[in-house]
Amino acid sequence: MKRFLSPLIAMAAVGLLLVGCTTTAAPRGSAPVSGGTLVYATGDAEPTCLDPHVGGNYPQALVATQYLESLVSKNKAGDIIPWLATKWTESANGLSWDFTLRKNVKFTDGTPLNAEAVAANVAHLQDPATGSSTGYLALQKVTGVTVVNDLTARFTLSTPDSALLDSLSQPWLAIESAKALKRSQAVNCESPVGTGPFIVTKWVHQQSISLVRNDKYNSPPADAAHTGPAYLKAIQWRFLPDSASRYAALQSGTVDVIDNAQPDTLVAAKKTKDLVAIDAPRPGASNRIELNSSIAPFDDKRVREAFIRSADVNDAITSLFFGTAKRSYSALSSVEKLGISEPKLFTYDQKAAAKLLDEAGWTQRNSDGYRVKDGKVLELNFPVSTNQSIPAEQSLFEQLQATTKQAGFKVDLHPLDLSSWYGALGANQYNLVSAPYTKVGPDVLRILYDSDGTKPAPSGYFANHSQVKDPALDALLVRAGETSDQKERASLYKQAQDIILGGYYILPLYDQQNHYLLRSTVKGVRAMPTVSTPTMYDAWLSR
Amino acid sequence: MRRVTLVLAVAVIVFLVLAALAPDLLAPGNPLAIHPLQSFRGPSFAHPFGTDESGRDIYTRIVHGTGASLLIGLAATAIGVGLALVFGLLAGLGPRWLDFGTTRFLEVLFAFPGLLFALLFIVIYGPGVVTSTVAVGLATAPGYARIIRSQVLVVRRAPYLEAALVLGRGPAHRLFRHLLPNVAGSLFVLVTLGIGQSIVWASSLSYLGLGAVPPAAEWGAMLSAGRTYISSFWWMTFFPGLFIVLSAISTTVLGRGIQQRGRLS
Repeated sequence: MKRFLSPLIAMAAVGLLLVGCTTTAAPRGSAPVSGGTLVYATGDAEPTCLDPHVGGNYPQALVATQYLESLVSKNKAGDIIPWLATKWTESANGLSWDFTLRKNVKFTDGTPLNAEAVAANVAHLQDPATGSSTGYLALQKVTGVTVVNDLTARFTLSTPDSALLDSLSQPWLAIESAKALKRSQAVNCESPVGTGPFIVTKWVHQQSISLVRNDKYNSPPADAAHTGPAYLKAIQWRFLPDSASRYAALQSGTVDVIDNAQPDTLVAAKKTKDLVAIDAPRPGASNRIELNSSIAPFDDKRVREAFIRSADVNDAITSLFFGTAKRSYSALSSVEKLGISEPKLFTYDQKAAAKLLDEAGWTQRNSDGYRVKDGKVLELNFPVSTNQSIPAEQSLFEQLQATTKQAGFKVDLHPLDLSSWYGALGANQYNLVSAPYTKVGPDVLRILYDSDGTKPAPSGYFANHSQVKDPALDALLVRAGETSDQKERASLYKQAQDIILGGYYILPLYDQQNHYLLRSTVKGVRAMPTVSTPTMYDAWLSR
Repeated sequence: MRRVTLVLAVAVIVFLVLAALAPDLLAPGNPLAIHPLQSFRGPSFAHPFGTDESGRDIYTRIVHGTGASLLIGLAATAIGVGLALVFGLLAGLGPRWLDFGTTRFLEVLFAFPGLLFALLFIVIYGPGVVTSTVAVGLATAPGYARIIRSQVLVVRRAPYLEAALVLGRGPAHRLFRHLLPNVAGSLFVLVTLGIGQSIVWASSLSYLGLGAVPPAAEWGAMLSAGRTYISSFWWMTFFPGLFIVLSAISTTVLGRGIQQRGRLS
């Protein structure tokens, strides 16, 4: 006992001393300190390629934000601001855009940022061999880029695109060194080269990515807090898929920042001074369950409505999210100004659900209580990506499984890893799916609900999981994407959302949850207003 | 003292068997019934083991999950011992070349760690309760087979078997009248010891998400679900874990008890 006690007393004494210091010393946290290594632990899936042109998912965006930069960015108010491009002009007919590039910017391999590099990047994104989905879909209206002069690049379009600047602000359309892009894809995936504040030096698969400071960095976005190189000397980007271990590592100080924080840990973190939370809902689509309308039984609108009416989402959110998530009734994220919300369409009503199923001919029930029609059970296949849904969300699906059972639905949940999940979607063997889709601006509706979205991109991915094929909706989305008249654009997007919500193609849940937790010794971290990825450019350590 | 632990172990096993055969007797509730607004409640009179993230009663889920967990343990052991019996008898009774071949084959299987072998099997045949049971059974077979072989070798040279041979008894008679009954004693102990081990393995596979599918009430799966909340709600992992440990310990204690009684007599 004595042996145990004395170090304890010593520790307490040191603790008291430290407390004394912090209360008497000058307030820390004012002047940023240079140096140090920040350890970031991500719960998102490990990317298969560090070049976000290839495929293009959120895990890639998270890490790429540290070493790649885009032509434009967004400020907190949601307005487009200069980044690698200092200004841009749209031609009168909307079919060409001239971007003037920032002077004296170099990629970390020494090559200069110029119009040729921009052209090479757009060509890379549009080359089917690259296997891009996010960037490819965002550039569908761009026919090519021509070099006007060294620092002016001209984008030519097939039809006017009101979402072009929004699209270009995303990390999936970041500008990489043209020289580096000429290397094989395997090499470029391991060590992409950009103009960003950090440089990828090493990627130990299944473990971590090492990044060091770019000492020649000179191109921060217009809303950054400082200029010149980053404060941090290096970043260690670790993969820690288990949420409980991730939080434990943060608590112990082994890591400085974590993403995908669990709701219960957010509540616990609020009670301590050691941890700080950043809530940064993702733009684009809300988090929703998509109902595959292309195959039975959801080819019948009544069955779709019955499912949605019998799913008790509100109680599930209350039980699982501890007030950290707010119910959404919209196809779009709450950060999207043009999103509309229709709570009335989604009220929980078992009686209405039962009536709808009776009308649709699902009148019999089997011994387990599931509805039956012509000898077939009302069974729904629901592949769940365990990499993209936090455990609380998976529990939410279990609760919806239980409440929709009362109406007679048999929901089969299949927890899958990311690649098996993509496989299940590609084979069209699903009735329900929850897929995040992040894109800046309401143009995400075109990607998710246009008939063309049922055709796979070069990567094999298709984004229209509810498989809506409605010519009227297509026409609205095309017109909304072409007009630059803000009033007309808002009205067109409202009509489009009315069709999507009223057709019961989706069950909105909440904004795409994006909570970061950091130790209070980490200062200056902010989420980019574009797609809410964290940037470590302004970050510094006060320890 | 040894008596007390044995009695306790038997008591636990009786409880588990009762829970497996008639779960409604011990916990009349529905293990899948959700009450979202009563989620994450700590242990209380209404919920002795607390509630989980969907407001399901953990005690009810554990009792109703006993059947699945025990069945997986028993079935896996049966598969393992069944296979082992075939290999062990082949090696112990067959000609020298067959013994050599079988033993080398078992040694190759031994080179794989058991759980790795089970994982390999699941990767090929897909996750699920049946595959994980078969996988655990296959993975444990080589160990049993070696013990059975050595037992057979001992019994085979026993004087009474030589006597039977001299008396002109056929191979079937010798196998079923003399060999198997004498191997059976140690086999019974092995099986009892093995059930505990198999329960732990099957729970491990469910814990890794390779066994029972949600929302099934299976101990390993419950443990895995609770792990997420371990820093906030301890009871979600503690009670399923406790039952896995208790079942493994009590079958082991029972097995040891039988072993010792066998030695004394």
